[in-house]
Amino acid sequence: MSRSIKKGPYISPKLLKKVSEFHRSGSNQPIKTWERGSMIMPEMVGVTFAIHDGRKFIQVLITENMVGHRLGEFAPTRNFRGHSRNI
Amino acid sequence: MAIVSGVNISDDQLVEIALTSIYGIGRHQARKITRESGIDLNSIRVKDLSDSQLSIIRQKVDASNLTIEGDLKREVQLNVRRLGDIKSYKGNRHRLKLPVRGQRTKTNARTKRGRRSTIAGKKMAPTH
Repeated sequence: MSRSIKKGPYISPKLLKKVSEFHRSGSNQPIKTWERGSMIMPEMVGVTFAIHDGRKFIQVLITENMVGHRLGEFAPTRNFRGHSRNI
Repeated sequence: MAIVSGVNISDDQLVEIALTSIYGIGRHQARKITRESGIDLNSIRVKDLSDSQLSIIRQKVDASNLTIEGDLKREVQLNVRRLGDIKSYKGNRHRLKLPVRGQRTKTNARTKRGRRSTIAGKKMAPTH
């Protein structure tokens, strides 16, 4: 089931703060985050995030098309390399 | 044979059923269209329609805001491609031809994965 519209998009306030700080400082360091469930807002376009995948941080540059998706969608948590070949 | 909205050919089915052979029109929309055209839902088959009734239906389909046939297929395709382009999880699932919405894949998921292919050396599930 999708989230109620009444509630608005889910986004962690801490992450929003990080983003606005990023814009203010003008740095281009990736923003390290564990907030996989937070929705990507328009002001995050152009920001590089380092999204935690459970083990390491995956760097993702946010583009316009990604707005409305969750950060976690771009940092896969599983690493499937194919089935074994032995008989 | 009757042609509604391009190449869609209906036959001796009930109007409501025949309309669903148009991609993008399901039972609900088909019923709505028939009702609005003032056709007795339960009895008239496509071959019994008069020309004027048929043209009313054509008009209703064309005038409705529904995206149908090629346009709809293109729209869906573009949406899927967008998911792939942004490298989202859903895009990857589409690429791998696996279910996108978190369904199990240990068994089932045959619609998406196609016909079963036998894997050599794979143990059968225990049967009781």
